[in-house]
Amino acid sequence: MSIDENALAGLRSTLEADDYRMALAETGDRVEVTITAGPAACEDCLVPKPIMRNILHAALGVPEDAIVLKYPADAS
Amino acid sequence: MVDPTAGPAATAAVPRLATRPARLDGLVVGLVANPKKNAEPFLDAVGELLAAEHGTADVVRTRKTSITDPIAPAVLDELAQRCDVVLIGVGDCGSCSAAAVADGIAFEAAGVPAAVICTDAFRVSADAMARLQGSPGYTYVTTAHPLAPLDADGVRDRARLALPELVGMLSSAVPAVAR
Repeated sequence: MSIDENALAGLRSTLEADDYRMALAETGDRVEVTITAGPAACEDCLVPKPIMRNILHAALGVPEDAIVLKYPADAS
Repeated sequence: MVDPTAGPAATAAVPRLATRPARLDGLVVGLVANPKKNAEPFLDAVGELLAAEHGTADVVRTRKTSITDPIAPAVLDELAQRCDVVLIGVGDCGSCSAAAVADGIAFEAAGVPAAVICTDAFRVSADAMARLQGSPGYTYVTTAHPLAPLDADGVRDRARLALPELVGMLSSAVPAVAR
């Protein structure tokens, strides 16, 4: 994983503007990305997963299929 | 929901833009608002400024009912028939910024010059959608985030600030170039 810190910071800022947070966990050759919603978040404001994967691929330097992406709605 | 994989293959080196008119006077402007708060007032304010200062002839308004979905094909077709240029916005969240860019690219493909407005917090989402739609570097106008809490005067001030860039994007004799 070759993280582009600027890109990652930009993504975090974008998420925070919609009251979302992001946690990363590296597990072998995969990266688990968990998005959590704050109290002011609207579910519709979070970009569809394919867009998020594209952003994460660029920011983390890993193939899109190596990203395990968890959205708040996945827990329900 | 926008399907970001439904657009053209992401192989374009530069965005494909519709031919721009040299001037805006006498033209009909489409206003494509999303449901976010202050999107319609912002676009209305830009429409009024275009009429007052650039002689546009009329506006055609449409309001999307979904934050995340792209504009309906039938609505796009109707606006493409009726409008010379379109304004799209305001992308003031992640998904609506992405959807606005997808709509802008769709209007360009239909031959209608488009200017998309997003707030500056959502460049990441907007740029990602542009890449996925095969138009990396697609140019849009930003205004400061957030737009939603502003009062009517604040919205008009933002429209005023954005106007020169919007005019340049819609009417440049030399099409807007990718950033």
